[in-house]
Amino acid sequence: MMTHRFEVIPSLCIGCRTCELACAFTHTKNQKPGRSRIYPIAYAPDKYVPVACLQCDDPACVKSCLFDALKRNETTGAVELNADRCVKCMACVAACPFGCALVDDGHDEIVKCDLCGGNPACAQFCPTKALVYKRIA
Amino acid sequence: MRIDSIEKLNRWRAECRRAFEAPKRKVTICRGESCLANGSEEVFDEFKRLVAEKSPSGLAVESVCKTGCHGFCSQGPLVIIEPDGTLYTKVKKSHVAQIIDDTLIGGKVLDRLLYVNPQPEEKIADYHKIPFLARQQRISLRNCGLIDPHQISDSIAVGGYAALSKVLTTMTPQQVIDEVAKSNMRGRGGAGFPTGRKWATCAGVESDVRYVICNGDESTPGAFSDCTTMGSDPHSVLEGMIICAYAVGSSQGYIYVREEYPLAVVTLQKAIDQAREHGLLGNNILGTALCFDINISRGGGAFVSGESSALMRSVAGEIAEPQARYVRSAVKGLHDKPTVLNNVETFATIPVIIERGADWFAAIGTQKSSGTKAFSLTGKVNNPGLVEVPMGTPLREIIFDIGGGIPGGRKFKAVQTGGPLGGCLPEDKLDMPVDFDSLTEAGSLMGSGSLVVMDDRTCMVDVARFYLGYLASESCGKCVTCREGLYQLHRLCTKVTKGEATEADLSLMERLAQTIQKASLCALGQSGPNPFLSTIKYFRDEYLAHVRDRKCPGGVCRSMITYVINDDCIGCLACLRGCPVGAITGEKKQKHVIDQVKCDRCGSCHAVCRYEAIDIV
Amino acid sequence: MSVLRREGIDVPVLCHHEAIEPCGSCRLCTVEITKDGWGGWKRHVTSCLYPAEEGLVVVTHSPELIEIRRNILDLYLARCPQSEVIQKMAEEYGLYKTSYETIPDGDNCIMCYACTRICEVLGKSAISAVMRGHKKVIAPPFGEQPPDCIGCLSCAHICPTDVIAWKDDDGCRTIWNKPFELISCSRCGKKTITREFADYLIGKRNLPRDYFTVCDDCKRQDLALKMGALVDRAKEVAI
Repeated sequence: MMTHRFEVIPSLCIGCRTCELACAFTHTKNQKPGRSRIYPIAYAPDKYVPVACLQCDDPACVKSCLFDALKRNETTGAVELNADRCVKCMACVAACPFGCALVDDGHDEIVKCDLCGGNPACAQFCPTKALVYKRIA
Repeated sequence: MRIDSIEKLNRWRAECRRAFEAPKRKVTICRGESCLANGSEEVFDEFKRLVAEKSPSGLAVESVCKTGCHGFCSQGPLVIIEPDGTLYTKVKKSHVAQIIDDTLIGGKVLDRLLYVNPQPEEKIADYHKIPFLARQQRISLRNCGLIDPHQISDSIAVGGYAALSKVLTTMTPQQVIDEVAKSNMRGRGGAGFPTGRKWATCAGVESDVRYVICNGDESTPGAFSDCTTMGSDPHSVLEGMIICAYAVGSSQGYIYVREEYPLAVVTLQKAIDQAREHGLLGNNILGTALCFDINISRGGGAFVSGESSALMRSVAGEIAEPQARYVRSAVKGLHDKPTVLNNVETFATIPVIIERGADWFAAIGTQKSSGTKAFSLTGKVNNPGLVEVPMGTPLREIIFDIGGGIPGGRKFKAVQTGGPLGGCLPEDKLDMPVDFDSLTEAGSLMGSGSLVVMDDRTCMVDVARFYLGYLASESCGKCVTCREGLYQLHRLCTKVTKGEATEADLSLMERLAQTIQKASLCALGQSGPNPFLSTIKYFRDEYLAHVRDRKCPGGVCRSMITYVINDDCIGCLACLRGCPVGAITGEKKQKHVIDQVKCDRCGSCHAVCRYEAIDIV
Repeated sequence: MSVLRREGIDVPVLCHHEAIEPCGSCRLCTVEITKDGWGGWKRHVTSCLYPAEEGLVVVTHSPELIEIRRNILDLYLARCPQSEVIQKMAEEYGLYKTSYETIPDGDNCIMCYACTRICEVLGKSAISAVMRGHKKVIAPPFGEQPPDCIGCLSCAHICPTDVIAWKDDDGCRTIWNKPFELISCSRCGKKTITREFADYLIGKRNLPRDYFTVCDDCKRQDLALKMGALVDRAKEVAI
């Protein structure tokens, strides 16, 4: 039973990249920060929106994975990528219509946003509250 | 003609028996593989032709019959004249006319075609008095050599399917399982698992489908008892399988026959077709509710496909690789359904257990290994062939009293039991009773019952090397300990035979052997090091001679022996002419000399010399 | 094995991967088991395959088991002396050089079957193990270009010793001697996956073809533009 919802209010994004830093450092492994699953992208000069996995209702990534490495976590609502089952075939990277399955070259793995297991760091640190993890139940 | 009731079967049996026993005179010619290879087909045709032509009294052309294999392999082609039971051995087409004239018409026995017993040396005319055959107790091989395997009427005449009738009319499936369990019958395929328990497990699993499979793979080099049973008494196997199907609740059976037994396949298929025709296989067997059919599945030419999980994969159409599933195949076997897999000999024995009772069977043999076992006796023995004796018979009796001892006046050195996965047993084990547990305790195996006898001109290290090489090439290759381990063990053993190994290598081999035994996936790996472990256990001094002294006591390993001409040489030039590298010099009537530098120790001179003038040093 | 892992007990593995069924080929996870009713009888089994059951007593580390694992790694070292993965594992067991003669013309393949198993899971079975015993190799049918291979590289990535060779060169991928065309992003030209792999996913999982024509970077860019357009329109409406 999903208890929270991750909300993005793009009009509040100022492109400060704090979310990107928070995400990268939260996913540090072997003393190396991970590739950030969220970062602001400019859609026009000085106009930014945060781009991250939309945790789709009918995820193309789950469909594309032939090894059942992608599965929804019923509590957080996030679609999680199980690294133990992943063989890096890139099907999800190619299939996601929003490009939100990412290649982390530094750690030689595929990554995607998993809402930090229920306490998204980006929402914690976003100064403008453009990213909110709101309780719904 | 469909036999759809027990009454009809009994009537048919009476008819068949009359026909089978009627002819006052009968000539049977053996058409087992070995006799066929030596021309028994020609002998049979010649008999048919000449009997038709000469019409000896009381002998109709139809009474010239062929039978399956007797298991008396070195004496073929075999011809038996009934009712006297006169046995003629090594019969050629050119002998037939004289046999008809002198024996069938003239009533005289032809001395030169009689069997010559080695110890005591004497000629024996009566088939029933020949020690090799007389001292056996043939249960699974009971009809081999007696009947024509291609005529179902012969099998019926000698009692085929009588046990099945008894089962279908007077026993419930549970009673059949109980009877088999009471007999203490243990699987004759080698593992010796209690057959009754296996059937009970299979029957006890909830399932809509169960399978009965007969393991006719017999890929053990040196074993040929299953080959003979399948090719000479196929209906005994079919009957055993049908009884099993009734007991566990199966409607589909398979006989898995190795690729290298085309004759057995032909005979089995014919038997299946005839059984189906007569309503003994298929729907409503003998008019009862039992429906069971059998199909033959061919092997692909591998040793490992005799392993039960590999066999079931092969039947299912996949590559024969063993699976480590740790679940009994009686619970989850072919297509993941409960399956009974038993050996040919096991199934062939079941009808006898039913007919004569579990108590009778349990009283034969030893307490933990009841009944008889068919052994394939080969190697350096005067009478190689099939020997079926009660469990617990000492090796000495099988090899010397029945097998006739070692030829050429040589000494016994070792006997390998159970095939390549078994071990070699030395002279001081000759009085050991042959049964499942004694063999395992001694570091060997019952296996499929092959006994390879070796004389004193055998190098036990070379024997180990040979079998390790075989097993390494037959390994399926899935698990590292068997695939790499046996390969390296074989390599090291070869080093020993070449005189290039050290004592440290021997320790390495022992360590490696332990790991292969403990960590391998299937029995091929787990028992794979046995040829090495048993030989180093009983013949350690031979290994040490190879590594310490660079000597081969058996006189086999080329780099460690020399051929020397002794004073018995009469100068006949035979070895000189036979030497492929021209290493021998000498004049006529003068003692010859071998140039040790040129000599490559092929042994041709030794083989050719008729004066025992060449020693192996 | 899942029970051992849950409890944090580590046994070495080489042929194990969560995405494939265990097969027990590397034998490194061998443990010793016994049970109360077995009268002291012990058995060596691979923990990846043996089902956990109530009352099973498992020994995962003992001098005997360490010796077995060391001997297994010794055999692997003889087969693939150049493999860094094997060297590292062997060093942990105090083995720096093999006790045996190394296999001539060896490659680093440890015959773990991971590649054939993963190809089976994805539904293609393009490669398999052929021949028997020491001659066993992983190969496509008849040694030719595997007709069923889609160039997804799952086999190459799952291989624990990185034996399967592949090359991406100028929009063309080659693996098992078979050439594949890599899809070029229609915007920026970056190469994504092979056309054959995309076709397979589209057919098998009913995914829209146009998901695969653009690379992930450009798709994120598109998402940003779409979101930006919504932001601007909302501002206009508000005004």
